Amino acid sequence: QEAAKYEKKVMVLDFVTPTPLGNSWGLGGTCVNVGCIPKKLMHQAALLGQALQDSRKFGWQFTEEVKHNWMTMTESVQNYIGSLNWGYRVALREKKVTYENAYGEFVGPHTIKATNKRGVEKLYTAERFLIATGERPRYLGIPGDKEYCISSDDLFSLPYCPGKTLVVGASYVALECAGFLAGLGLDVTVMVRSILLRGFDQDIANKIGEYMEEHGINFIRAFVPIKVEQIEEGTPGILKVTAKSTTGNEIIEGEYNTVLLAIGRDACTRKIGLDKVGVKINEETGKIPVNDEEQTNVPYIYAVGDVLQDKLELTPVAIQAGRLLVRRLYAGATTKCDYVNVPTTVFTPLEYGACGYSEEAAVEKFGEENIEVYHSHFWPLEWTVPSRDNNKCYAKIICNVQDNERVIGFHVLGPNAGEVTQGFAAAIKCGVTKEQLDSTIGIHPVCAEV
Amino acid sequence: MGWEEKRVRGYSEFAQTAQRYHGRPIFALFCGDKDAEGRSWCPDCVTAEPVVRKELHHMPDESVFIYCLVGDRACWKDPNNEFRKNLKLTGVPTLLKYGTPQKLVEEECFKAELVRMLFTED
Repeated sequence: QEAAKYEKKVMVLDFVTPTPLGNSWGLGGTCVNVGCIPKKLMHQAALLGQALQDSRKFGWQFTEEVKHNWMTMTESVQNYIGSLNWGYRVALREKKVTYENAYGEFVGPHTIKATNKRGVEKLYTAERFLIATGERPRYLGIPGDKEYCISSDDLFSLPYCPGKTLVVGASYVALECAGFLAGLGLDVTVMVRSILLRGFDQDIANKIGEYMEEHGINFIRAFVPIKVEQIEEGTPGILKVTAKSTTGNEIIEGEYNTVLLAIGRDACTRKIGLDKVGVKINEETGKIPVNDEEQTNVPYIYAVGDVLQDKLELTPVAIQAGRLLVRRLYAGATTKCDYVNVPTTVFTPLEYGACGYSEEAAVEKFGEENIEVYHSHFWPLEWTVPSRDNNKCYAKIICNVQDNERVIGFHVLGPNAGEVTQGFAAAIKCGVTKEQLDSTIGIHPVCAEV
Repeated sequence: MGWEEKRVRGYSEFAQTAQRYHGRPIFALFCGDKDAEGRSWCPDCVTAEPVVRKELHHMPDESVFIYCLVGDRACWKDPNNEFRKNLKLTGVPTLLKYGTPQKLVEEECFKAELVRMLFTED
């Protein structure tokens, strides 16, 4: 849409290769259809369930036992997503961007072949190309994985309640899904190969795991599934999972209605003909290395988003990179995308917001003697009356002693972590120091005042 | 078989008609009432109607096109009116594909391209 503003002739090729179970979706990419949006809505559904419980202590009286209906929630979520898909179609049309629901692949210099779902092929040429094909969930490569397991691509539109679920993985996708499924009242187990939330501050990752465990989610640590079999067909059916220990020869078995795989995502770069135009990719990971102007080794081909090597996999980052790129190409701008100090939030039952360095990364970069960590547990006022945990919410900032105690890492674990973190991210971008934080008077009574 | 048009007035007539044709693609255009000379109190509806009608032949076979008058201006401005409450309409004219989130509102209905897209999308 940005390029169309500058009177460029633009075409968008968007195509979703169906999941092994046949699922597909509309225009908007992962975030809108099978990522952030449905995830946050379902997380909200779970939070509301908790709020209903808390409400009794605040005086609300209702005698019925409150139950959750998966279909009602899923229908509402999918309806909203449908309106977003439609909104994008209208927006592209209004801005005169040509849209084709077709699978694009390079066949030669400046030339792309687009194949639609009926197999009809068309060829297009263009001056420049932007690759933003993202990633798809990885499968385990064990018997029964593609036939019986689901991934996040299937979960948000599942036409039946998943029931007793085994989540394989310890990524934020795994933990967020396990979190809201349990919050909706389902029996959830998480099978973890080694650590939780690799790449995130491990001190906080462990607190998140502990919280989830104390609130009814089972964790099986240091095991990986080696086989998935179907015991009974159905929606859901019954699956038997056999797993092996990573530290010995122990084998365990378990029965679940649904097995959700969340062990990682792979870049969609292998089947789009990049070899035909000479775009180099990292053979091992499939990611595309680009310079700081999002340009690949082929000058007229650019890339943004999750396909990039060594860059954060976040929707707002991709959007920002894309917009700035177009402004540089067609509006004479020079601003490059700033990949440093990007705030993020993990929407586990106890939300985690972060911006900047984790404690481990800060120690590695600056040395333990040169950083100072300030931290505190806090008890949200809203949790006091319903007697919820008083020592689980936590906040910490990591400061660079050598640079005026500038805040280089911000971490908060508690309700509305995303909202809290956004403001601090702006402060960090401005170079806020510990002293400045100390001299900022807090808003009371809110969690953020800590 | 082509498509057919049904003209209705008011929410209950609309709901009944939509129910009767359940299973077929249903498109609906909501406009303000027309006076004795056939002019609507809603100027945007006056502009949109011919644009929409010109694109009707793009609707899939078996479609039902419901042309629905929503009432006079006072009725429409009432925030509790059934169109606002049950169909979540926010303005007239509104052109929508019944049972889906796909719709065009007000000036969007003036654009033949968008109308065509609504009729031909799946």
